[in-house]
Amino acid sequence: MNMTQLDKKTGKPLRPAGVQAAPEREAERARSRRLTPLSEQIGRILRYALLAAISLAMAFPFYWMAISGLKTNDEIWRFPPTFWPETLNWFNYRDAWNSAPFARYMFNSIFVAVAICGLQVINSGMMAYALTHMKFRLKGALTFVVLIGYMIPSTAVYLPSYLILNDLHLLDSYAGLILSNCVSVFSIFLLRQAFMQVSHELVEAGQLDGASHFRILWTILSPLIRSSFAVMILITFIDQYNNYFWPMLITKDPELRLVSAGLRSFFVEGGAYGLAWPQIMAASAFTIAPLLVLFAFTQKTIMRSVNMSSGVNKS
Amino acid sequence: MRLKLFREGEAFLFTLPALVPLLLFWFGPLGYIFYLSFTEWDFMSPEKLFVGLDNYRYLLTHADFYRALRVTLLFGVGTVVPIIVGGLALALLMNSKLRATGWMRALLFSPWVTPTVAVSIAWSWIFEPEVGLANLALGWVGVSPLGWLQDENWALAAVMIVTVWKSIGWSMVFYLVALRSLPAELLEAASIDGANGWDRFRGIVLPLISPTTLFLSIMLTIQSLQAYDQINVMTQGGPAGSTRTLLYMYYQSAFESFNVGEASAIAVILILICVLLSGISFLLSRRLVHY
Repeated sequence: MNMTQLDKKTGKPLRPAGVQAAPEREAERARSRRLTPLSEQIGRILRYALLAAISLAMAFPFYWMAISGLKTNDEIWRFPPTFWPETLNWFNYRDAWNSAPFARYMFNSIFVAVAICGLQVINSGMMAYALTHMKFRLKGALTFVVLIGYMIPSTAVYLPSYLILNDLHLLDSYAGLILSNCVSVFSIFLLRQAFMQVSHELVEAGQLDGASHFRILWTILSPLIRSSFAVMILITFIDQYNNYFWPMLITKDPELRLVSAGLRSFFVEGGAYGLAWPQIMAASAFTIAPLLVLFAFTQKTIMRSVNMSSGVNKS
Repeated sequence: MRLKLFREGEAFLFTLPALVPLLLFWFGPLGYIFYLSFTEWDFMSPEKLFVGLDNYRYLLTHADFYRALRVTLLFGVGTVVPIIVGGLALALLMNSKLRATGWMRALLFSPWVTPTVAVSIAWSWIFEPEVGLANLALGWVGVSPLGWLQDENWALAAVMIVTVWKSIGWSMVFYLVALRSLPAELLEAASIDGANGWDRFRGIVLPLISPTTLFLSIMLTIQSLQAYDQINVMTQGGPAGSTRTLLYMYYQSAFESFNVGEASAIAVILILICVLLSGISFLLSRRLVHY
């Protein structure tokens, strides 16, 4: 487990990388200014340039998507392609938005994703708490079951899940979309990992005060691991907003399409595989936009998920 | 005694909100699919016909299955290895005393958060044979244009490029975390002993970050076995089956040919491959991974 690493010698928590006390950082800068040989500095500049070039190349498809959505149909089919549109045809975006019920699709995606996040907070929180701070006989077996769930490709069981959903009369409904995704092994593991860091004495103290497990979980422990909850919610939201295969299988009603399925059907039907590329690119761009905005504001939290999830396999 | 029973019951109650959907949508279906793989059924007929191992026998004697298996392996190796090696290379480049790398990290990571369907559509346009960006770039280095998604020799490569593009920044961030937690004294000690860069990397860095490598290879392998969105948008398994993985074949035989038994058998084989690979990597980790 490496969420908070302790300094081997002093036992104090290590400062997160990159965070240094101001005077120390100043001193280091002064040192590097004085002592770095020219060759090393040139190497550093070259490395920086290389990385910058790679990063820009990686983001280029996003740029390409956005500006292709601004071109006329004439211009988009020209070769060699133009890297900046001759005229900015903003109405492509408006046309694309209006030629399929994208507002509805987007509402569906966000509504379903938010509902799933809410349910997962509750059920993963309770499960993770039970697995870490409660004593019961099935504990070992349940932990093992959750671990196994982590190793099995969920897409492989879509067929029987579909049949079960059919038997429950949940196909083609919001309830089906939400309930069939309302549990995640990843979320349980993430929170379990966090709860293991919390001292059990807090639970005992709460019990002495006469608080129930339910109250201890939600009023004492959960606030302590709220950053893990934040990571869990963000990752779940992104996964569910992007979800395509499963929601597409279990909904036939176009009114219930999530945004990816809606976009894909616009791509195939409306765009007829390439006759209206500027509109298709515009539609892709505004489908992605909410996520890129979300990412821009929460990138620290999202990247922290890496730190947490890499602990999952060392449980 | 009563109190103890109450405690057991209370704890069990806490697990129920997760356990019920877990059983209903994960472990129930898992048992169900094993059963279905021994039957013949088309979603419609009232009876499921029990056929024993026929579905497996059929699969194992048909070239289509082996073709899909080959595509699955190619796709797996062709995405997992570049994502891990590339992610590590980027992390090493970024880790060494560079300032102002935040914006680069964000750009490299951003493909991971975006919907696969939308970015696959954008990439389909990039791979357009006549006017696409990919062929323009090939032209700059003097390579003649390719058919990409329409060419059965290149379609899989195109799908792999998109997959690698999507996850390479994700794996880089894992390695950045791993590299930052390396003890600096150890590296210094090694360089005083006269170990050069490559020795230091192979002898110290690589073993110390092996838990991350193991974790990434398991996760990415499972992901590669489940790849669907990009294949569905870009090629739908074609041209001529050149991008039909086992998972895609499973989907097609279940929901396009309504052959439930055969589809289930493919899924069971897929699950067994997963379990086998996870098992192997756990055994390997005992020997090779240093915690």
